[in-house]
Amino acid sequence: MAAKKIWAVIPAYNEGRSIKSIIENAQKYVDSVVVVDDGSRDSTKNIAEKAGAMVLSHVINLGKGATLRTGCDFAASKRAKYIIVLDADAQHNPADIPRFTEKLGKYDIVFSYRKRSAQMPFVLRFGNWFISRAMSFLYGIDINDTQSGYRAFSAEAYKKIRWNASDYSMETEMISKAGKQKLKYVQIPIGTIYSDKYKGTTIIDGIKIVLNMVWWKIFNGR
Amino acid sequence: MAIGTIIGQAIGMMFGIFMMYYTFLNYKRKQFTGNEFVFWTALWIVFITIALFPGILNPLLPLTGALRALDLLTIVGFAFLIFSVFYNYTLTRRNQRQLEAIVSNLAISKRKK
Repeated sequence: MAAKKIWAVIPAYNEGRSIKSIIENAQKYVDSVVVVDDGSRDSTKNIAEKAGAMVLSHVINLGKGATLRTGCDFAASKRAKYIIVLDADAQHNPADIPRFTEKLGKYDIVFSYRKRSAQMPFVLRFGNWFISRAMSFLYGIDINDTQSGYRAFSAEAYKKIRWNASDYSMETEMISKAGKQKLKYVQIPIGTIYSDKYKGTTIIDGIKIVLNMVWWKIFNGR
Repeated sequence: MAIGTIIGQAIGMMFGIFMMYYTFLNYKRKQFTGNEFVFWTALWIVFITIALFPGILNPLLPLTGALRALDLLTIVGFAFLIFSVFYNYTLTRRNQRQLEAIVSNLAISKRKK
């Protein structure tokens, strides 16, 4: 049996309201959709299964980094050639997937950046700017939006950027590893819908991310 | 003996007795093995003894440069506290990684069945 080439990996935690449309739209552009349910207490798992996604279930909530790692490990074990990761809360439009895949032949990783808009909460805008500057200072990599989770990479690149962080720090860990491994990357703009201001990266996460970046720099040489 | 010293010793003794009780409770709940119970009980007995008779540390003062037994006790206490924090950190990280690996492998292996 030929390996399915492009896999979408969607981490989900209590996303019963939005997961169905994300899966159905993503299926138009990829060969397989895998949803990793991170111990949701709602019906995310059942809805995702009915929508036709492959569902992996964490028996307890581990965090975004661990959830994405499970999904990407699974996709890699199924001989996926390219992996696209996107959020389950309808922030990311699956219709953008072809814009990622068309870049994947030339580049190892495709990062995305959210266009600055009045919609973007101030805390997020400031936090993003601060983390980006810290990333540039510590690692010499200029990424417009270090926290945008809509990304694509080849399975070969995944082996080099496989992160250890189990929380939101995984986004920055991935960038720092890509920089260290000198992977070829490109950034593309995406539109974003902010549906829930209590989800996603918080100020506390932001502080943890910057501290982790310093820690990795000093102790891991990443 | 100053009243402050007596109060300090009383607090130290009560703390030691409470910790002995807590150690015993953990042993009865089968959270601690017999060896762990003996180790921690011995530690709290030493703690109470030093709190009541700090003078027994006097022979160590010239060796450590501390002026009073209480200073030495404070230094040793801080060192123990820092070690405990570090030890707990490494233990928590190890458990976290093991837990993540178990949960992830379980999710993948269930899907592959």
